Amino acid sequence: MQQYDVIHSFLHQSALSHPEKIALIQKEEKVSYEELAERAEQISQWLLHHDLQPGERVAILTDDACEYVAAYFGILAAGGIAIGLNTQTSNHALSSVLADSGSCIVLSQQKFQKYASVIMAQASVRHFETTIRSLWEHGIRSEPKPLPRIHSEDIAQIIYTSGTTGAPKGVMLSHRNLAANTQSTVGYLGLTERDTIMAVLPFFYSYGNSVLLTHIAAGGTLVVNQSFLYPNVILEQMAAEAVTGFSGVPSSFAILLNRSSVREYSFPKLRYLTQAGAPMSPALAANLSAVFPEVKIFIMYGQTEAGPRLSFLEPERVVDKAGSIGKAIPGVTLTVCRPDGSEVEVGELGEIVATGDNIMAGYWQQPEETATVLKKGKLWTGDLARVDQDGFLFIESRKSDMIKSGSHRIGPKEIEDAIMEFSSIHEVAVVGHKDDILGEKIVAFLVVKEGCDASEKELLRHCRRNLPSFKVPHTIIFENELPKTATGKIQKTELKK
Amino acid sequence: MADNTTKIRTFIFDNFLFDAEEDALENDTSFLEQGIIDSTGVLELVDWLEEEFAISVADEELVPENLDSVNLLSAYITRKTS
Repeated sequence: MQQYDVIHSFLHQSALSHPEKIALIQKEEKVSYEELAERAEQISQWLLHHDLQPGERVAILTDDACEYVAAYFGILAAGGIAIGLNTQTSNHALSSVLADSGSCIVLSQQKFQKYASVIMAQASVRHFETTIRSLWEHGIRSEPKPLPRIHSEDIAQIIYTSGTTGAPKGVMLSHRNLAANTQSTVGYLGLTERDTIMAVLPFFYSYGNSVLLTHIAAGGTLVVNQSFLYPNVILEQMAAEAVTGFSGVPSSFAILLNRSSVREYSFPKLRYLTQAGAPMSPALAANLSAVFPEVKIFIMYGQTEAGPRLSFLEPERVVDKAGSIGKAIPGVTLTVCRPDGSEVEVGELGEIVATGDNIMAGYWQQPEETATVLKKGKLWTGDLARVDQDGFLFIESRKSDMIKSGSHRIGPKEIEDAIMEFSSIHEVAVVGHKDDILGEKIVAFLVVKEGCDASEKELLRHCRRNLPSFKVPHTIIFENELPKTATGKIQKTELKK
Repeated sequence: MADNTTKIRTFIFDNFLFDAEEDALENDTSFLEQGIIDSTGVLELVDWLEEEFAISVADEELVPENLDSVNLLSAYITRKTS
């Protein structure tokens, strides 16, 4: 693949190379690369005719993927900074992101007209457009304006993190950040124009954004269905469109394995599954391998701040390096460091520190927050890990997840993995709760698989057999479901309350 | 049938719509299209159906044709219990 350093070049190049190839499939609508590039161009012209200046922020609020993708590339080519808004929103969430970003234009759809008063109340917003499709269907009749020259270091996008902890932060990603990460990911996944991905993750978050950019860059096809409500509908689409790939978070795979007819289907073309967003337990990885024996499973790790990909575990190592997040992707350097910045020894716990062209420019208008994670050009991820003798990384926990119990510092992940080996468990999250004597006690929140039983006594017995005594949970709480962010990450902050 | 419809509406309001007005949900409104239920919500709904109506919902029955509105749910329950 030729190297590009601005993101919208990916779309233009794919449109030039194979104009008639289908880029997007959404329900009955199929959009070719040529058509998608034309739509994006119309949106660029509309923005320029509405006086968009380079570096101004344009928000996208739509659950129509065809609209989203055309608007996204149209904004970038016009020199704007794209902000994909979460469509599961509220007046408060919407106004805080719009105010923080200072967005001047909001591209949306009719169903979000209900937010008009909140959106127009923002001092920075000068236009709220609720029919994105009309922008390419009717077009601009006046003379086309020249597109501005975009540089690789210009900010392309601000992604607001889902806020597993604390207030949302806007992660600024430059064209170079995203281009570097996209090209590296295309390379290690081996993506080509022959690939068709089942895209279930929303594009406004970093993982979904990466799925979008990598498949557009490769000239592949995205089959988009971003509501994971009826897993069998997704499976039907995967079979009908003969997809070659599927990208999900652990809960996507847990639902597919435990609450769908996945075992009744065959997917002869399926060649890769990617999993990120949270570590996959070795038990879930083993189940997935059993259901998809011929399919490559890529366990990946990253952060929005890294655009997002940082490491992946080669499919061939999923069994012998179970629980690992693998090694750095091409173009990225990962080291595990002590607080003073020195590298840890094999087996010693430290924080993952990343460098590469993909590392964010910083948090939008938050220099102090930026300085806490970007030091001397390196991203301190806040993720605590060990490296084994072969150089594979194993995440223990987020720094903030560490449980301090008695004299022990305990990462919850090892306990979660042990509990997941208990066959009737669907999901688990282990957190620390305040305790007068220990400082924190270990509390395990569990969801039991449909139709299964698990008693506290059995589980504790299982933990005692598999864990050192100080890591055995003090309390087990059964839940019907665990609180999650929109991207499917378990919100441990909610469980710590 | 009418009784089932009332039960379903009560469940949907209690668990997903909370304080919304009674007219916020038509009986043929798609839960999917309107974003009323998310993926874990469907699993909650299934748990409730199994418990409330003493039926067993098979994995292959987790499709919009059975579950995606009050009316579709009501018809599904009728088929399963008759």
